[in-house]
Amino acid sequence: MTVPPRRGARTAALLAVLTVAAAGCAKSEDKQPAGAQDTQGQQQVAQTPSGNAPSCTIDKFGGKKFDLKSGVVGFSQSEKEANPFRIAETKSIKDEAKKAGIANLKATNGQSQFNKQISDVQQLIAQGAQALIIAPLNSDGWEPVLQQASAKHIPIITVDRKINATPCKDYVTFIGSDFYQQGKRAADQMVKALGGKGKVAILLGASGNNVTTDRTNGFKDELKQKAPGIQITFQQTGEFAREKGQQVTEQMIQSNPDVNGLYAENDEMALGAVTALKGAGKKAGQIKIVSVDGTRDAVSQIGSGWISAVVESNPRFGPLAFQTLSRFLAGDAIPDKVIIADREYDSSNAQQSVGSAF
Amino acid sequence: MTSEQAAMGTTVTAPQGTPPGAGRERVFGLVQRHGAAAVLVLLLVTGSLAFERFPTGDNLGNIAITSSFLATVALGMTFVIITGGIDLSVGSVFALGGVLAAYGVRWGSLAALLLPLAVCGAIGLLQGLLIARVRLAPFIVTLAGLLGARGLLLSISDEGARTYLIPHASLLARIGQGSVLGVGYPVYLTLVLFLAGAVLLQRTRFGQSVYAIGGGQDAAALMGVPVTRTKVTVYVMSGLLAGFAGALNAARLSSGVTILGTGMELDVIAAVVIGGTLLTGGAGSVSGTIAGVLLLGVIQNLINQIGDLSSSYQQVVSGAFLAVVVVVQTYLSRVQRLR
Repeated sequence: MTVPPRRGARTAALLAVLTVAAAGCAKSEDKQPAGAQDTQGQQQVAQTPSGNAPSCTIDKFGGKKFDLKSGVVGFSQSEKEANPFRIAETKSIKDEAKKAGIANLKATNGQSQFNKQISDVQQLIAQGAQALIIAPLNSDGWEPVLQQASAKHIPIITVDRKINATPCKDYVTFIGSDFYQQGKRAADQMVKALGGKGKVAILLGASGNNVTTDRTNGFKDELKQKAPGIQITFQQTGEFAREKGQQVTEQMIQSNPDVNGLYAENDEMALGAVTALKGAGKKAGQIKIVSVDGTRDAVSQIGSGWISAVVESNPRFGPLAFQTLSRFLAGDAIPDKVIIADREYDSSNAQQSVGSAF
Repeated sequence: MTSEQAAMGTTVTAPQGTPPGAGRERVFGLVQRHGAAAVLVLLLVTGSLAFERFPTGDNLGNIAITSSFLATVALGMTFVIITGGIDLSVGSVFALGGVLAAYGVRWGSLAALLLPLAVCGAIGLLQGLLIARVRLAPFIVTLAGLLGARGLLLSISDEGARTYLIPHASLLARIGQGSVLGVGYPVYLTLVLFLAGAVLLQRTRFGQSVYAIGGGQDAAALMGVPVTRTKVTVYVMSGLLAGFAGALNAARLSSGVTILGTGMELDVIAAVVIGGTLLTGGAGSVSGTIAGVLLLGVIQNLINQIGDLSSSYQQVVSGAFLAVVVVVQTYLSRVQRLR
């Protein structure tokens, strides 16, 4: 053991410096990169009537009133802000919190790892969150969070996807689109684009959540009813991702060359499909594409003829979420679900309304 | 590194005829051998000073329970990596274990535990045989295992669309969700497994064989170490532990969530390597692994404490942190070797 004492001191110093440097770095990067698009766009509007009659009050839920402005509100995002929907969603929540004067909004991101999102929310609770807004990655598996939250009577609002639990007991309410309806509207657009007959492929979303299930069932049910002449000959998951959508479409072109309609359950996959079709030498409009979301990229492809129609799924949850929360805290009755009125883009309005796409 | 040296991993031997001032050097030597633990302590102290909501019982309890599942998987991986192998299938096997437990709970809690253990153990056995007997590369074999296990998961869950639930009243759910003194049962189970793992690795002939194979397979074979049997055993252990952790996690979540475990193998490998186990094999300890797992958990927690960091920067920061930890560790072990 012949370590000169200086070496020991140097190592300790190095350790200290590195740790401090890393912590400092973390703090100074504490800024949100500028969002890709404008903040406001088209605000969400709740459908009337939405859900069942408003029935959930703070007394029934068992919570305590607090001042939203000075209270701690936690927001748990499910996926990285790497696609337009998530970017717009997170931005809308943060912007609205600022606008409503909420000083203490704590935001976390599950990075598409479900166990991380669970521990994120548990940490938000441990950090003293008095209300939670959650964009769940998965609909099942929320047991540990629901237990902790209900022990502390923390109201939870879930946005864009549901949690499979009891409203007004485990959580307050769900704010989101009617995904089944979106599927039906996409089917209507498909019927129109194909003139009532043809072969259709579906790019399914990620599995394990109600969005995919509902958008699929809505589409299939409506087709069965409105256009028995349209067959669904291919369906596979593109996991809501652009490159996966492209990959699956490339396979589809090989295995099912007779497909003449394609339903993508989100815009990212539709854009991937467009790339695949271009790569295979197809022309715009040869295969009719209908998708769901309403991103700027997809809506502008309507003008160029590659996409026939886009059913909107509005991600700007901020205003409606905080409005619902403050009404709940003020003692108003809240419905068990708040359904958003979504619009539609097709060749008749794409040019004028591309500004409200996100 | 020989097995003898490696086996000393956790015990510090004081030099003969201790000269004055050796106490300090002894402490310093301890710090060197446990780089991850040292950084962990530093982060815990820094975190406690910087954020008042960090050192609370609730928060530390959360870190412990979240880390316990990763730790259990990493325990098996430690053995695999010390033999000089790698197991990329653990993330998928973890997810499969959870889905199988939720699927099997209809026949009772015991079946819900045995089913994932049987299937995941069998996957480990198959991989181990292909690696040890057929002498295929662990990287490729377990990559196939990753895809195969995920495929099996999708086939029993309607392409992942169906989530099986674990009823509250079942014993399994109570094991996953119960707690004593504010700490969940899975944490205690993990500690017991690590104690057993430490004894197995440091105090048994099997442990010696694991180190010897990592130090040099041919030399180990010449020394009479049962190479094939030992290698098959570590892959079976890895499969069993990943499946068990998955089942326990499903019990905690009350459901067999199908989207779990993607990319988890990378976190597990990172934790093991941060814990001081060499990717080339032959050296490492389970105590280092537990420090590595906790370090990852604490870094994640601290990033969340900062609060408003955007998701892309979160990854930059955790990447930077990992790089720093590895640099510090390499530096420390180099200093140690120079002595």
